[in-house]
Amino acid sequence: MPTDTKRVRGPEVSQSPSLFSDKPADVVPSRGPRADGRQREQVDVRPVFVRCGPVSQAKGSAYIEAGDTKVMCCVYGPRETERKDETDMKCGRLTTDMRFAPFSCPERGSWIQGSQEKDLSLMLQESLQSAVCLHKYPRSQIEVNVMVLENSGSVLAHAVTCASLALADAGIEMYDLVLGCSIRQDGASYVVDPSYAEENSRSSGGGGNQGGLTVAFLPSLNQISGLQSDGEMTQETLTAGVRTCIEGCYKLYPVIQQALTKAVRKAAPPPSES
Amino acid sequence: MEACGSSSVSLREFGCEQSLLSRPDGSASFTQGDTSVLAAVYGPAEVKVSKEIYDRATLEVLIQPKVGLPGVRERSQEQCVRETCEASLLLTLHPRSSLTLILQVIHDAGSLLSCCLNAACMALMDAGLPMSCLFCGVTCAIDTDGQIITDPTAAQEKESRALMTFAVDSKDRKVLMSLTKGSFSVHELQQCIAVSQKASEKIFQFYRDSVRRRYSKTL
Amino acid sequence: MFIIILMAVKVSYLQPSVCQWTAEPLEYHRSFLRENCRPDGRELSEFRTTTLNIGSISTADGSALVKVGNTTVICGIKAELTNPTVEAPGKGYIVPNVDLPPLCSSRFRPGPPGEQAQAASQFIADVIESSEVIQTEDLCIDRGKLCWVLYCDLMCLDYDGNVLDACMIALLAALKNTQLPEVTISTETSTPVVNLEKRHELHIHKHPVGASFCVFDDSILIVDPTAEEESLSTAELTVVTDEKDRLCAVHKPGGTSLSGEKLQECISRATARQREIQKLINKVIHSVKTAQ
Repeated sequence: MPTDTKRVRGPEVSQSPSLFSDKPADVVPSRGPRADGRQREQVDVRPVFVRCGPVSQAKGSAYIEAGDTKVMCCVYGPRETERKDETDMKCGRLTTDMRFAPFSCPERGSWIQGSQEKDLSLMLQESLQSAVCLHKYPRSQIEVNVMVLENSGSVLAHAVTCASLALADAGIEMYDLVLGCSIRQDGASYVVDPSYAEENSRSSGGGGNQGGLTVAFLPSLNQISGLQSDGEMTQETLTAGVRTCIEGCYKLYPVIQQALTKAVRKAAPPPSES
Repeated sequence: MEACGSSSVSLREFGCEQSLLSRPDGSASFTQGDTSVLAAVYGPAEVKVSKEIYDRATLEVLIQPKVGLPGVRERSQEQCVRETCEASLLLTLHPRSSLTLILQVIHDAGSLLSCCLNAACMALMDAGLPMSCLFCGVTCAIDTDGQIITDPTAAQEKESRALMTFAVDSKDRKVLMSLTKGSFSVHELQQCIAVSQKASEKIFQFYRDSVRRRYSKTL
Repeated sequence: MFIIILMAVKVSYLQPSVCQWTAEPLEYHRSFLRENCRPDGRELSEFRTTTLNIGSISTADGSALVKVGNTTVICGIKAELTNPTVEAPGKGYIVPNVDLPPLCSSRFRPGPPGEQAQAASQFIADVIESSEVIQTEDLCIDRGKLCWVLYCDLMCLDYDGNVLDACMIALLAALKNTQLPEVTISTETSTPVVNLEKRHELHIHKHPVGASFCVFDDSILIVDPTAEEESLSTAELTVVTDEKDRLCAVHKPGGTSLSGEKLQECISRATARQREIQKLINKVIHSVKTAQ
């Protein structure tokens, strides 16, 4: 195994103390109210806290907190592309980098970007790309950096929302905001905006209709820019799920709009009456 | 400031050989007791566009340990050596060019960083690069009795309670760089600085002698 | 035509310093330093407002978020179980790592940590060892068999200079916030049994706090530099002291030389800073405890 020479090294192997816990891990119930008191089968998203512009060095930045999930996003650019060999110079490039802080998950993660982070970065890029007017930024690139500070479920959905907010804060021209929402299908029932435990639970005798679904949605255009689903779901369940996600996005919309107007007001206060 | 016990500063036996490598523009090997470092300088040469600085030369320092790959510790030492060299070199005379300094550790028997600094200075001198002053590295160890040992061996370093490395310039004998380990009082710090300044006289005298010896041979 | 010229004159007259800031940043800073103040309105020996938030990350065993002006650093500590080394059977590990991700400033590129991040990691590791903020013997559970490893991951979220100070504060506050679960060794199977409910605090022996300085034009000393001041300065210096006024690190990675008097000035400022920060940490920890 190649050793990481660019970081302070610890012991070769170490185990999380939760593996040796004397009590078995809590089993997520598959019916009844959810652990955090929200309702099943309803568009019951966690209350979100959103702020624009927490990072002074970035062109645009945003922070979103939904329950315990904490995501931060910074946008740099548009600046000159690094890759000069790119054949198509007519429109700009959108690069995304999504990372989990090592302490963000119950199990400690590695500093090195894993395949999951790469997958999520790609999905984030695909969800955002169609909403950004890239043809207005020829020969330039816009960098979107997302850092997950705490992962308590539905990371991709919140990352999409946060990133689009940061892009808007940076003054990048966009067709619309992009909002994300995810659901978890568990047999006949589903939960909206699942937590980490709900995302990683497998009910024993469920059979089919198990899976997760994340939708990236452009609310004022009423279009879907990204859809990611895993697991096994019937066609009807999936379409119903998409509809539920869209509903969830609309619940988020006023909060995001408010945060954005607040940031704009702060940056350029409206002329006073006097 | 004479509280350090002996009035004369004891250093291990020094040795230096310049231009011992044929490929680099300047090279030197420096030994302090059993500690030995080989330094090579390349440049001024063409610089990568990404590293180009418009008004001065880009200096890169690489420290290669005796075995294995350079790690985080080497990187922090590289930073110290680089910024010390940058302070004494007149980099503005070679804008948009690159200087590379490679330090190969041959043997580490204590006071490694100071030996690296001394080797670097001799190699830069050998390369004929314009410098505003010379610099030398001195390591001081404070042992458990509070005695200051200059140029400690690896065993002395291990037993010490605090270890400090300073780079001293030849012009005003002021501290260019300082890197410390262990905890110590303000008074001890001042004593160590005074001792290193005294030790630096000896090292600069050694620099002078070895350069004189070398040129007396070639001329 | 005349009016336009007049207006242009007026604009350039009103904002000479802003033009100068972009064209000649060094001269712009000098003009402030001559008046013994700095572009952001601070005095030369004034730190930026420091705020601290403890325990905000629930997935970590201990965490802290520190803001020094705009500079933001978050520290999360995760404890894991491992075997001690053969050379030091009675000691645990502390593994600090500083990351400067591309998120925090446009000067950092994605990929493995650069020289600055690595030097910062090494500096933090050295300070932990020198100051004995935690004795690694305290992390031993079963001699020669089992011990804790504390992964202290520091991440800069907003880079506006002086990360080393912010990292030190974040690390210290996070360590003070860390709660380790109780571990017993089962006699039958000789495997560890962890009681996640019963947790205890770490024993913090020392409170090392750093103060960073920048040297402008080989003579003017300023504290707590911003990113711009750092890039324009000729030398940097970080002094770390603990509550007993012992120096844990005098880190000057090169640059122009510094006289003895100036160094003394730095040390006395650093000891004052140590008092301020220790008071701040205690206050925040107290307020967190009373809130629970």
